[in-house]
Amino acid sequence: MTTLRGVPLAAELREVRFRYPRQTEPVLRGVDWLIPEGAFVLVAGPSGSGKSTLLRCLNGLVPHFSGGVFGGSAIVHGLDTRHYGPRALSRTVGFVFQEPEAQLVTTRVEDELAFGMEQLGIPPALMRKRVEEVLDLLGIAALRHREVATLSGGERQRVAVAAALTLQPRLLVLDEPTSQLDPWGAEDVLTALTRLNDDLGLTIVLAEHRLERVLGFADRLRLVRADAETVEGDPREIMAVCDPSMAPPVVRLGRALAWEPLPLTVKEGRRLALASTAPRMPGPDSPSAGGPPVVELRGVSAGYGARIVLRDITLEVRPGELVALMGRNGSGKTTLLRSIIGFHRPASGSITVAGRDIASLDPADIARDVGYLPQRPASLLFAERVRDELAFTLRHRRRTRFDPDALLEDLGLTALADRHPRDLSAGEQERVALAAVLAGAPPVLLLDEPTRGMDALRKAALGQLLRRLRDEGTAVLMATHDVELVAGLATRVVLLGEGEIIADGPPREVLAGSLTFATQVNKLYGDGFLTVEDVLAGLNDGTVSSSGGAREVEAGEPAVGGAAP
Amino acid sequence: MSSRAAGLDPRTWLAWAVAASLPALAGRNPLPLLAVLLAVLGVRAAWSEAAPRDAAWRPVVRLAVLFAFLATLFNALTVRAGTTVLFTLPSWLPIIGGPVTLNAVIYGVISGGALLTLVLVGAHVAAVVDWPAALRLLPDRLLTVAVAGSIAIAFAPQTVVAYREIREAQMARGYRPRGARDVAPLLVPLLHGGLERAITLAEALESRAFGAPVAVAAGWQSGRGVITAVVLAVGLAAGYLLAVGQVAVAAVAMLVVVAAFLWVMRPERTLARRSRYRPPRLRRSDVVALAGAGIAGMATLTALLTDPAALRYEPYPRLTVPAINLWLLLAQAGLLAPAFLVEPAGEREERGRR
Repeated sequence: MTTLRGVPLAAELREVRFRYPRQTEPVLRGVDWLIPEGAFVLVAGPSGSGKSTLLRCLNGLVPHFSGGVFGGSAIVHGLDTRHYGPRALSRTVGFVFQEPEAQLVTTRVEDELAFGMEQLGIPPALMRKRVEEVLDLLGIAALRHREVATLSGGERQRVAVAAALTLQPRLLVLDEPTSQLDPWGAEDVLTALTRLNDDLGLTIVLAEHRLERVLGFADRLRLVRADAETVEGDPREIMAVCDPSMAPPVVRLGRALAWEPLPLTVKEGRRLALASTAPRMPGPDSPSAGGPPVVELRGVSAGYGARIVLRDITLEVRPGELVALMGRNGSGKTTLLRSIIGFHRPASGSITVAGRDIASLDPADIARDVGYLPQRPASLLFAERVRDELAFTLRHRRRTRFDPDALLEDLGLTALADRHPRDLSAGEQERVALAAVLAGAPPVLLLDEPTRGMDALRKAALGQLLRRLRDEGTAVLMATHDVELVAGLATRVVLLGEGEIIADGPPREVLAGSLTFATQVNKLYGDGFLTVEDVLAGLNDGTVSSSGGAREVEAGEPAVGGAAP
Repeated sequence: MSSRAAGLDPRTWLAWAVAASLPALAGRNPLPLLAVLLAVLGVRAAWSEAAPRDAAWRPVVRLAVLFAFLATLFNALTVRAGTTVLFTLPSWLPIIGGPVTLNAVIYGVISGGALLTLVLVGAHVAAVVDWPAALRLLPDRLLTVAVAGSIAIAFAPQTVVAYREIREAQMARGYRPRGARDVAPLLVPLLHGGLERAITLAEALESRAFGAPVAVAAGWQSGRGVITAVVLAVGLAAGYLLAVGQVAVAAVAMLVVVAAFLWVMRPERTLARRSRYRPPRLRRSDVVALAGAGIAGMATLTALLTDPAALRYEPYPRLTVPAINLWLLLAQAGLLAPAFLVEPAGEREERGRR
């Protein structure tokens, strides 16, 4: 039996090459990958770097389902995937997909758990036993009779994991299972996975963008870098040398302050932070933009039938403000945005956009002044060419002096201007949708979870663009769960709870010390520290310099905070 | 919620639907029709909270009310038969000019009522039946059909949501669909998104052993394919023979087709079967509801054979009192049985927890 440092292997990929049908470029080029049994392996890297394809090699979906040209070998628990397809491997490899909605095949939870076992002809008595076991294991016994359609995203993903586990696989592969979930749903799923790995020794391979969520759990990290090179090994060693934009804030801070060992979690970082020099408190947030409000809600209440979702909301957004709407799923964030664009009519109160009361306007009229990016940006696109998407919005907004080519260039879409939007990758489609929304420079921009499922690099690019729009005077209202993004970008945070505004103020005031919305850095230092930059500035004003995104202490200066035990 | 959680098996509802539809299909006697309509309305009212998809079917019911009204209007304005003239429209009016009779109005109302009853029955069953459970009643050989149907049912609401999202997203860019020409911008993203979901779903099915080979007797798979092809060919030939008037030969051919189909679909011991997590089982409440539907259905069939006038009615040329069959009318009360079998929400939840 092949082993890795004495540990038997769950999977062994040798020289794996793969090219999708009708594609000229291979996605995988000679991949070697050894996965030890019982390991928790984290796979990270930019979208489109071949992570999903690689994961699909582990259960035979590539090449048996995908087609294409496959070379090399992938042996999973002794089974060669060239000879065993996903059906045959289903007893050995469990697979959980990204979209909670698209992977459940029945309508009731219990039936979902039994589905795979029914296909394999497992006797009913054994099925019942296994169903009971996984219900308890994942803490979802209360959901057993629920209709799948009534479950939250986090509940659905846990059901998907449970359904994979009923076949008692030895390897569980998860392709970005938390990317579509809110932080609480993601926490539920990840906690369940950690238990499976710790208690049962189940080998887990997990692809994930938000490393801050999982880095602490992983034994091994396989990181595809921006230059398409792959590194693999101990997460701490890789995090010490990777592109800083890919690292979570606690790691970036640890690297900037040369902490040893490099912390991967807040818990590890806290110990080092306590032992190091305390930074000076950051100054207050700069005052919010002035001028008359461009969006004004007065006593707005709204709901669906008898269910009240927004209660007596009064809110003003001014040009140059970037307001982050935060709160649990169901707290009313999306309904608030939909009310401003006119899709949802309030039961009471009034909404004014760019000086016009929208009560009598239809969404298409309101859209002349408002850009709206929904959760699934691809649903916006319908034209034949990327360029036509922008032209349509411009015609509608009656902006003749706007230069669409400049916007295309800003978003890196110039080369794709004549392509059909549907032929582009998911990331490119998102950028086209954003360009279509931004064409004509609407004074108000509404964004609903714009970073959902986005990798670190794309998120950084989006952040840069939003910062520029904000500085140019666009009023941006963004519903999001991404506290790190908000901390670095927002001028104001509005916290919603059960449809009411429960906090409204600068990020430092609202996020700092919050049990749920504190950033990693705030969890380390408390007070008003939100970002890595806050800490570095407070430690050594003027003596830190930026180096490729990571800050390093200048030569000759004492290593501030670096004397960690 | 599902019908299982609410207490009735899909087979019970299907039997109830058949029994409730018979009087409307058998004739136009308004008395049994009225009795069935009242029973159906009673059951719908009792199940309104326990029918999870009731709201989705309300537009269909509203459409049926509209059609019932239009049927009445159409009959009244276009049928000239009948002796009781209400008024006369000027003859220069095309199609509708002429006498409007009470006979035509009454026949229109009865026909509209029959249509409404059938739609109400269908909408109620569609709203309360656990369709995946119903599909699981299909024989093992039709398992793939059952799963495909079950997935289609799960897929439909997602498609509706996707349609709404796309429409709204495009309106937010100022897009206003104005005619058939503008359907494409709506359909392209809908199909694209649907295709993406379908691919993920197919991957999920493959990864979870759907269609995994069970221990099938050697050669049976290919043999079944050949037999199915032959059966289809004979079926086509039977259709052709029927079309050219060779009824007797066509009937024999059809018999062969049916027999071969049943043989192919028969449960065979030598074939390994897929297992069922929860074999369907009728409960006491199902037996009560089935008995009610059985009484109503049997009474209707008996009346059809022994007293057809109890189900049929012609208001032409002269208005008459419809025939009354008291036993038939009383038996329709059996259709009300499900109204008394709705479990209170608390009990349902409690049973769900158990």
